[in-house]
This record gives sequence, structure tokens and C-alpha cells, in this order.
Amino acid sequence: MRALDKKLFRDVWRMRVHALGVALVLGCGLSVMVMAVGMRGSMERTRAAYYAERRMADLAVSAVRAPERMAEVLAQAPGVETVETRVSGVALLDFPGVSEPASARLVSLPIEGRPRVNDLTLARGRWPDPARANEILLSQAFADANNLGLTDTLNATIHGRRQTLRIVGIANSPEFVFVAAPGELFRQAKRFGVIWMNREALARAYDLDGAFNDAVFLAGRNANQSETIAAIDRILEPYGGIGAYGRDRMVSDRFLSEELRQLSTMAIFLPALFLITAAFLVNIALGRVIATERSNIGLLKAFGYSNADVACHYAKSALIFAAIGAFIGSAAGIALGRSVADLYRDYYHFPTLEFSASPATFLGAWAAGLAAALTGCIFSVLKAARLSPAEALTPPRPTTFFSAGPALSRFEANLDAKSRIIMRRIVRFPRRAGTTALGVAFAIALLVVARTMPAEMDYLLDVNFGVANRQDVTLTFTEARDSGVLHQVERLPGVLYAEPFRLDDVILRHNGRTVHEAVFGVPEHARLSQIVGRGQRVMAPPATGIALARALAEKLGARPGDEIRLEQTRGRRIATNVRVTAIVEPMIGSSAYMEIAALSRLMREPGRVSGAHLRMDPGRYGAFDREIKDIPNIAGVSYVGQAEASMRSEFEQGVGVMNLIYAAFAAIMAGGVAFSAARITLAEQERDLATLRVLGFTRLEVSYILVGELMALALIAIPAGLALGTLLSIWLMQLFQTDMYAFPFVFNPAGYAFAIAFTLGCVATTAMVVRASIDKLDMIAVLKARD
Amino acid sequence: MIKVAPSDQPAPLFALRGICRTYGAGETAVRALIDVDLDIAGGELIVLLGPSGSGKSTLLNILGGLDRPSAGAIHFRGAPLTGQSEQALTKYRRLHVGFIFQFYNLIPSLTARENVELVGEITDDPLEAAEALDLVGLGQRLDHFPSQLSGGEQQRVAVARAIAKRPAVLLCDEPTGALDVKTGVRVLEALQEVNERYGSTTLIVTHNADVARMGARVIRFGDGRVRSVETNTDRVPPSDLVW
Repeated sequence: MRALDKKLFRDVWRMRVHALGVALVLGCGLSVMVMAVGMRGSMERTRAAYYAERRMADLAVSAVRAPERMAEVLAQAPGVETVETRVSGVALLDFPGVSEPASARLVSLPIEGRPRVNDLTLARGRWPDPARANEILLSQAFADANNLGLTDTLNATIHGRRQTLRIVGIANSPEFVFVAAPGELFRQAKRFGVIWMNREALARAYDLDGAFNDAVFLAGRNANQSETIAAIDRILEPYGGIGAYGRDRMVSDRFLSEELRQLSTMAIFLPALFLITAAFLVNIALGRVIATERSNIGLLKAFGYSNADVACHYAKSALIFAAIGAFIGSAAGIALGRSVADLYRDYYHFPTLEFSASPATFLGAWAAGLAAALTGCIFSVLKAARLSPAEALTPPRPTTFFSAGPALSRFEANLDAKSRIIMRRIVRFPRRAGTTALGVAFAIALLVVARTMPAEMDYLLDVNFGVANRQDVTLTFTEARDSGVLHQVERLPGVLYAEPFRLDDVILRHNGRTVHEAVFGVPEHARLSQIVGRGQRVMAPPATGIALARALAEKLGARPGDEIRLEQTRGRRIATNVRVTAIVEPMIGSSAYMEIAALSRLMREPGRVSGAHLRMDPGRYGAFDREIKDIPNIAGVSYVGQAEASMRSEFEQGVGVMNLIYAAFAAIMAGGVAFSAARITLAEQERDLATLRVLGFTRLEVSYILVGELMALALIAIPAGLALGTLLSIWLMQLFQTDMYAFPFVFNPAGYAFAIAFTLGCVATTAMVVRASIDKLDMIAVLKARD
Repeated sequence: MIKVAPSDQPAPLFALRGICRTYGAGETAVRALIDVDLDIAGGELIVLLGPSGSGKSTLLNILGGLDRPSAGAIHFRGAPLTGQSEQALTKYRRLHVGFIFQFYNLIPSLTARENVELVGEITDDPLEAAEALDLVGLGQRLDHFPSQLSGGEQQRVAVARAIAKRPAVLLCDEPTGALDVKTGVRVLEALQEVNERYGSTTLIVTHNADVARMGARVIRFGDGRVRSVETNTDRVPPSDLVW
């Protein structure tokens, strides 16, 4: 090994604590990068493999009733490679151990063989015997959430008829990786599942013998999706075809895509903060090394080492920092990735999901770490290269301090001498002070983000359940019924108040754009399910015309005053024009709203309602549940109040883990920069601090200079950190925003206070650790030492 | 806490008996001070003379409460200085001791005035910073930072800083060691002025034999022992010193 390299390793060993600080900060950033990029790749590969292996549908369509012979016609449609017709519906379920009914999507299995499209993976048990109509497969998430196993039975109310179903297998499908009840946007594994069952039995129940109401397709390799969709729509139009759609509108795939998008965001946002901080830390640490190595640089050059040799020598130490950071980041990234993969696997029930980061991912992360370290060291290294040997061998000029300027001088006049020392050092070394403040600000910003996102989610739930959906229970009828049915509903045990609603599945068209959505009919004086207007205030349904959710209006390019086309997809399939009279701002969903009577008139079903929202007596759910299970014509019972509770608890669990990870990152960030700053401050001021001790200052008084400088920088960082955190939160929320969710920024004072307190705590703790060195200052040495 | 007897009592300011200081142990042990007995009266100006490693600086450090003797006892105004806690020694330095270092040890981020005010903040009845700086001839350079002052000027700021607390004892470790003759003389003049005006007992450590001519007593050190103690009957003012 060359002598210079030996020196390099000894130098790095001497500054190992600094090196570790830089490497930890770098490692945090790279670990998130490796995890997020690797996880994204793993998820994409898993999804692609899963979809390919189980032949995930490229297209899907629903119809009212299409004769089975149309399957042949559909198979001939351009771009269609395989078609699978099915009977599908929703059933209320009742099984021992659960008082309130759950519900499930019913999907028929082919009469012979396995599904050619959306094939299933059997987790446990066996396939149903085609000869036994009551044997079913149950989705794994639902089975696990309700502790249902093989041989258990379920009572299902299918199209008003009660049947007993026997579970013979637990299965998963690429079609239902994410499952949510119709019209709901949150997963509730305990309340909603999927049942695959005998086609003939299901067809009988829905009066669809020799017919189907649902079809899924595999498209050919070179299929033009819009042409294929148009062809399918033409074929099924006479049979109540609602409009075929691609994967972009399949709920499960959309959620997965959303998850992947969020991983991509995370792969950029968090590592960026850490890499910037690491670059600054390298800059400061190496700047200090080169300042103390000045005479050595002179000697090396005097011996004949070239400027490039010297530059390389010091750049190598930054590379060693980067290498340690890359190692930590890669190892932590793999560990993080594996635990996230476990979470995803359990949540989505992928048959296999192994975290694996490609060599390109690691190379990318290492390159990013290397780039950060090199960027950080470039100025110091160039300075070392440019230093002439003669100049380097003379002692450095003492640090020149100067008055802080008239404005600061007035402020200084009120300070004691120790505080003045602190202030002048901050003013004299702005780059270093800026780095420390920036790192602390980043830490605060991270925590603000971590605390704002749950607050926004809370607010979203508050508005959704406090304004938009205040009902305890929603009953949905199998088909629109006369509003007189409300009196029957109000007589059910425990029902305090019933409010009708109407829901029509429609296609909206405007300016050549088409959106498939729901129109809600809302009573003028609704008390339970209310329309959310600007500023999340309650708004009455428009007396005339239609109100569009902002996301829907944007998709249609429609503004108030525009006339849009509305086509009912079921029932009479009414098609009519209606004027947009308002834009509303529901935070969840992107539906359209009309006054209920106006909507039912428009659909030529005056006085008919789709269901009722109920206010319940909390003590009488048991009696209500018993009765409701036996009422025919109820398609679904949604326990909104319980949904809120389970959603909040699911979020809280997720938030708890997220807060822990962010707090750890913030602690490393704040602790890392504070440690680095404190060590350098101590090294530079060792002589001054020892002098003060000799002059009779106590350890506490001398410690104030060290701790005070850090705390002052941390205080300076607070407004910047809060502002940055706020901007990042707004930016991230915009990124996470979809047409399903709209997040306004929510100011969370407690979260801000926590961010400040936690970060200051980290800085203070780090400062106190370094402060211990003050107790060991060699007072005698300073009497002799030259500065 | 060091309980100090009133200064008008006849007891010497410092009484040292059998002071030894050994660094390390076993074969590598270094005996820096061996059996030093010494009485130092209040207001004396003493020059401690000797070559490097002779023990004079070790004695200064022990008198200043920076180091502790391995054996022996020291009394300051009749109160024991040995066996005191770290806090008690800090308080002793804070209230009674002024230090002047070879390399000035000013705080670079504070002006001359602020360096002097610094010690004023930890004592009860300090001199005004301007007055102390005036005394050392720097009344016109109050607001200069150390980097804007020459070596001699910096050392005189250090003297002003040391006297601002009106210390009972001024401990000067090679105060002219880094200065040329002319500026060194100015610093010594300042020390003598302070000694005479405020009666601060002044101990000057030096290896410069010429400086000894200004001391009331000269204590010569060699190999850790006091070799001689001479009372100077023919003191010369610093301005007459040449080296």
C-alpha cells in the first residue's frame, strides 16, 4: 500500500465519528432509495408475473342480461383474444360470530374447467365440485379477517333469496388484489369479500339462465384498446352493456398503480433531503480536515506530489464516506424492503412477493451517494489542490472576526460576552451555520410532513363521516323502490330516522369526453348524507340542473352553465341533457349530485329511491341486524359508523409505523448535523474554551458556548423547517391526490409543535453528548499552545 | 469551597510545604517538582527562572489551581488549596487569580474591550474595561479584534483582562516569550504598573535571566527543585531591561 493511502486510512479512522455521521445520513437516504425503487420494481414484476400467470383481464364489461351465445360474437370482436362470460352480483352474508351482515361480490366460476381469464390461486382447500351448487371459494383477505376456514358455512342473501354456502377453498385473484365494496373507496377486509361459486346456481339466483351479466377479456398482443372497447360496446348495447373499460378503471389495478406511484415519489423525496444534507456534511468535514492538514499539504507538495495527487488523496476520503454510506444504505434498504414486502404481501395477498432490488437499483443508489459526496468535497479538494507549497507551510492567518454590522451590533450590545461569541461565529462561518440550520430544518420538515399527512387523512375522514356521510347505516335496495318503503324502514328496530337517496350509474359526456360515474339524488334538506361545497361547508343540492364534483368537472372539461349528456347505464337507459349548475368539493369520490326528486323525474321513475341512510339507536343494533337479514330486496347494508372506526384504526396503525420511521430519520438527520457541527465547533474552539476554564469560567458556563451555538442554529432553523415542511406537505398531497381523494392542506399545530420539540430535543441531546468533552479539556496545554 | 482568611493577617499569601509533582508512574515517572517549600507574601513581584523542564511552570499551574500536587500542602491566605474539588478550584481562579499566557489566548471573536469585559462578567467588582485597557496603554484600541492587534498589543489586552478582576495573584507564564524586546518591555511595564497600583502578587515565569532583574525576589529552578531564592536589592525598571 502506498504511504499516502496508509495516511488516508489513518486520517479516516481519526475522523471516524464524522465519517459515521455522514455515512448514516447518506445511508438513510440511500436505504429509502433502494427500498422504494427496489420495492417498485418488485411490485411491478410480481404484478406482471401474477397477471400473466393468472391471465388478468385487459378489459371488462357489465351488462344487464346478454345471451350466452353472444360470447362467440364477443370472441370474434377485433382485438379480443379470450373472453370469459360470468354471472356477477352482490350478496349479503351472515355467519356465526358476526352480528352485523357483511357482503360479498359474487363471481361465477366456469361450468367446466378453470377461469380462462382472471384465474384464481388456491391458498387452501380445493376447487368446488361443479355438481354441488353450494360449494364456494372465498377470498383470502375476507376469510382471514373473519377467521373463516374450510368447511365453515355462510348464509348469503342472493337477489333476495337466502342460501347456505359451504367454503371448500380459500383463493386469491389478480382481479381482486385490492377489494372494496361497490361505491366505497376504502378496503374493509372484514366487511366485504369475494365469493366464487357455481355458475348455474348463480345464474338461477339472478334469473340469468343461459345468459351473463359480466364479461372479462384478454386482448391480443396488438389490439387497439379503444377499437376493442367500441366493438364490445356495440355488441352488448342491445343487452344493457354499460361500457367496457380497461385496467385503468379496474379498482384493484388502479390502487396498485397508485401504490407504485407513491413509491416512486418516496424514492425521490426522502433521499433528496438526505443526499443534500450529506453533501453539506462532507463539505464541512473535509473543509475542516484540509484546514488542519494545511502544513501536511505543503509537505506533500514539497516532496513532489502533484496537485492532482493531493486532490485525489482528499477526494478519496469523501469516497470512503460514500462507500460506508452506500453499504449502510444498501443493507438497510434491503432490510426495509423485506419488511415492506411482508406488509404488502399480507395486505394484498400476492401469491409471492419477494423484495429484490436490481443491480441497476444499487448502482443508481451508489452513484447518487457518490455524487453527493463528490459534490460535497469538490470545493475543499480544489482548495487543497490550489494551495501553493510555500503558502501551505506557513501558519494560517488567524481567523479574522468583524463586527456584525449596525443592525446586529445593536442586538449584540444586549448580549453577554459568551452569547456574542456564539453570534459572531455564526455570522463569521455562514456556510457551516447554514448547513447545520439546513439539516435541522430538513429534520423539522420531515416531521411536519409525517404529522401533516395523518392530520389531512383525519380531516378527510372528519369531513366524510361528519358532513358527507353522517349516517350510521346505509341500506341499498336491489332495485329502485317507491319512497313509501321508507315507512317500512323506519319501523325497523333501532332506526331513529331514515333519509332516502337515489343512485344512478351513468355515463356523462361533454366536449367529446366520456366519464362513467354515479349521480346521487340528495333530498333538499338532507341531514345525513350531505353535499360538501367550497371550504367543506354543507351545500343544498341544486334546485335545478346537476352539481359536479371538481375532479369530475375537470375530467369532463365542464363548467357551470355547460350542458352535459347523461346516459343511464341500467333500467330504462334514459339519455338526456342536463345543465351544470354547481361545482362541489367532496373530498372522497368524484360523483355528480342532483336533488332527489329532480333526479328520479329525470330518470322517469318519480318517487322511486335506491336506498336509505339511517340514524340508529346505538343500543339496538342487535335487533336491527336480526331483522334485516331476513328482509328480501336488500342488496347491501353498509355500517358507515363501524366503517369509520375500522378505517381510523387501520390508518392509525399505518401512521404509527410511519411516524416511527420518520422520527428515526429526523433524529439521524438532526443528530448527524448537530454532531458534526458540535465536533467542529469544539475542535476549533478547544483553545478558547480551555482558556475560559483557566480564567475561572465553570464547565456549565463554557458548555453554554458550545450548546448555545447549536441551539441558536436550531432556533434559526425552525421557521425554515416549518415552511419547508408545509410546502412539502402541500406538494406531496398534490402528488397523492387522485380523482378518488382530494386533500386540502390541514394545519396541524400539535404536529408542528412536536416537530420543533423533537428536533430541538435531538440537537440538545447530541450537543450534550459532545459537551462531555469540555470536562476533559486540557487547561495546562493551552497555556503553552500556540493558536 | 476555599475559606480564605482576611488578607490583613500576617500569614503569607501562599505557603507551600513539601510540594511534589510526579507525572506517570514506574520507570517512566517524571518528577516535575521535588520538595518545594516556599512562602509568598502579598504584593510581591517574583520572577521564577529556570530552563525548560525545571518545574517553574508546574509550580505556576499548581498555584493557579490548574494542577494538583502529588504530595505536600499549599495554603492560600491560610486556607488549604490542596484537596479541593474541581468546583472549588474553579471558584478560586474566578475570584483570585489572573492568568497571562505566552500566546495571549484572547478570544478571537471578541474585541479588546469585550475580552476584558468577559472576566468582568464573572467577578463582583471588576475594573471598567476601558480603565484596564487604559492602564496598559490601549485606551485607543478598545474596539479592535485580536486579529487587528500586534502581538505586544494582544499581550497587553491579556494583562488588562487579567487585572480587570483585581486579582490577588497574577500568574504570568512566559509573558514575553513570543514578543520582541520593545514590545516585551511594554508588557513588563504594564505588569509592574499593575503590581504597584493594585498590589496584586505577581509571579512571572521566564527562562530569560534579564527579566529577573525587575523582580523583588528571584526563585531559580533546576531539575524540579528550588535551587535558590534571592531577594533583589537592585531592582531595575523594565525599561532598562535588554535581552
